[in-house]
Amino acid sequence: MSEGNAVEVFGLTKVFRREVAVDHVSFRVARGRFFGFLGPNGAGKSTTIRMLTGLLRPTSGDAVVEGVRLSEDLLGVKRRIGVLTEDLALYERLTGEEHLLFAARMHGVPPPEARRRSGELLEFLSLADERGKLVVDYSLGMRKKLALACALVHNPRVLFLDEPLNGIDPVSGRVVTDLLRRLAARGVTLFFTSHVLDVVERLCNEVAIIDHGRIVAQGSLDELRDPTSMAGDASLEDVFLKLVEADVQREDLTWIG
Amino acid sequence: MDRLIALVVLRWRLDLRAVTGGHGRVVGLLLAVPALALLSGAGALVAGATVRLLERAEPALVLSVLSAAATALGVLWSLSPLLAGVALTETHDLDRLLHYPVPLGALVSSSLLASLLQPTVLALLPPLGTIGLALAGVSPLLLPTTGALLCFLVLLVASGQAVSLLLHVVSRHRRMHDRALIAGMLLGILLSFLPLLLISGAGPRAGALVRPLLASDVFVLSPYAWAVRAAVHAARGEGGAFALWTGAGALAVVAVLAFSTSLAQRIYRGDVDVGEAGWRRSPVRARIRLPGPLGALLEKDLKMAWRDPRLKAAVLSGLLGPLVLLVLLSRGPAGPSRPVVLLFLASFVGLGTLGYNAFALERRGLLLLFSFPVDRFAILVAKNLAGIALRGPGALMLVAATVVLVGPSLVPAMLVVLLLTQLLAAAADNYLAVLFPVPVPAAGRSPHAPTSGARGLGFAAVAAAAAFATLAVSSPFAFLAWLPWLMGKPALWLLTLPLALAGAASVYAMLTAGAASLLRRREPELLARVLGEE
Repeated sequence: MSEGNAVEVFGLTKVFRREVAVDHVSFRVARGRFFGFLGPNGAGKSTTIRMLTGLLRPTSGDAVVEGVRLSEDLLGVKRRIGVLTEDLALYERLTGEEHLLFAARMHGVPPPEARRRSGELLEFLSLADERGKLVVDYSLGMRKKLALACALVHNPRVLFLDEPLNGIDPVSGRVVTDLLRRLAARGVTLFFTSHVLDVVERLCNEVAIIDHGRIVAQGSLDELRDPTSMAGDASLEDVFLKLVEADVQREDLTWIG
Repeated sequence: MDRLIALVVLRWRLDLRAVTGGHGRVVGLLLAVPALALLSGAGALVAGATVRLLERAEPALVLSVLSAAATALGVLWSLSPLLAGVALTETHDLDRLLHYPVPLGALVSSSLLASLLQPTVLALLPPLGTIGLALAGVSPLLLPTTGALLCFLVLLVASGQAVSLLLHVVSRHRRMHDRALIAGMLLGILLSFLPLLLISGAGPRAGALVRPLLASDVFVLSPYAWAVRAAVHAARGEGGAFALWTGAGALAVVAVLAFSTSLAQRIYRGDVDVGEAGWRRSPVRARIRLPGPLGALLEKDLKMAWRDPRLKAAVLSGLLGPLVLLVLLSRGPAGPSRPVVLLFLASFVGLGTLGYNAFALERRGLLLLFSFPVDRFAILVAKNLAGIALRGPGALMLVAATVVLVGPSLVPAMLVVLLLTQLLAAAADNYLAVLFPVPVPAAGRSPHAPTSGARGLGFAAVAAAAAFATLAVSSPFAFLAWLPWLMGKPALWLLTLPLALAGAASVYAMLTAGAASLLRRREPELLARVLGEE
């Protein structure tokens, strides 16, 4: 593993029964990068994140996260990462504050430090007024913010964020994106998926695009723009649609209007 | 009309899919249908014979007895959605139909029509048929008699529908939903105490209470009784009374349908206010009191169990098994065999931990739990301790019974036998939890929705073997705990009880370390199976 890489992936493959969800994916993410992992629905983004975070066993291939090989020390990887999964598995009958304290304790954060960090995180994410409310009574946006707080509370070196801004209101969205930027500036590596491409364009300094389980492109936005067929100011959306060969042309619906 | 047909077909299709979605449910259906038919047939025989007997022996009581029976059935039927854990089975899911321009009358009528063809409703037809035959015989009077009985059936289903709609309103608010769940489950627990009361000789006393009620014909006031009374009058050829009671019965049906329609309308318009979320802002900051990840996990499980009405009810219903056995035991002859029976009872109650499934409380939270860098041994121990703590009420019941039946001197030995059996059963259960994970409902579905995955026959065989193995492994330690009593030297308990516990704890630690190692190897597969992502 290279010293400067936070994540290195070698031929990662996942086959569900006979369906290949991720097909020999290999890539590297340098430490402190804001890395966007993009792809259409069902392309293999969440499956890749689940494998990289040790929650799904790869059919073949391996990865090294912050110098720890996934196949050798799963708990070692989990100590170094924070994960925000897409389906927000939270304990609904804990209060928001209890949940955060619980997550801190499970990561081995000492109780006084856990209290300090959870207090700060709840204030920061505008959840302080709702700290005593059960998670079952939280809205989607509040759940997302709580799950993000749980992923951050132990100060991880790599953050895997699956659709972190989905369902969050614009004000909280700005707070969260500012926070993520600051984390990246302090050397935390962010592995980020989102369908909102303008957000990815604003935040990420490197992007990989996965389609049908294979990486079809990786690099900065400038590197991804094909000089032979795209204008120099082509947006990430244009690049994305071209790379996944999306057919967006449709006939009009005959009965509308 | 098209919409009415579409709504009725939709209900049937959804109901059919609910019982045929998965092998386990199909097997359940294949078992349930003959059982329901058998029950219906038996009910028909008993109901027909009872009415015939009553007509001959005490014809004056027929009206009041049938009125009482109709009222009891009506009340139970209306409460059935509550008893089944706020199951909204009697009506369409209004929230999903909110966006469509469906007339409310069509919605309520379609729910009623669809419900009339539910298997449980159809199963009532044979008993009603035999009651009609017993009342009117094979004569022209059978037709109006049966018609009146069918009016009762419609009222029964319509009132179930009205209660279901009320529960729809309640279900929109989590706190109210929890309260309804607790109410239903407490009611269910109370009802399951009925056989216990009968065993303990309360039957004749209950009969003495009901007799004056029947004599005074108080059930005439119950709307459920009206159509049934019309049936009796029709069979007796009393045209005027038949018309009067049929009118009253029909009016009751219309009133219930009108209530349902108005309720649906209020739900649609958002007029029904069930209050705010109702949580109070507490100045006290949250704390996790128990130390370390093991303590945090244990505390989390206990808090969640206490706050989840379903789990709370499961904890309370854990009292029932030991209670029934103890009632039976207390009614048996007193003597030197009682302590031995109590010892076996302690082992039996302890063995109940075998079916706990260490990961059952987690549901989809398992994904989060496995993302934590916590030693898997600690996770299993915390889960086992939570399982044992949640069986506390059963243990208390056992202690109380020991004090009452034998005396307090046996309590420490009883508790040690219970605890060591629980520990060893939990150790065996850890392997079952890792090797036979139970799938949970997909994300977005109710976490309490039934799952299609079953643990299968292989699990049943392994669980039976595990139960025998647990008993075999625990027996030397249980014997050690009981030895001073057998020798008549209670002072030896000071030595044997800690020894028995320490021995069982050592075996538990060894077995659980093995299960933790298995868990580490199988963790992603277990997660994929539990989350249904295989």
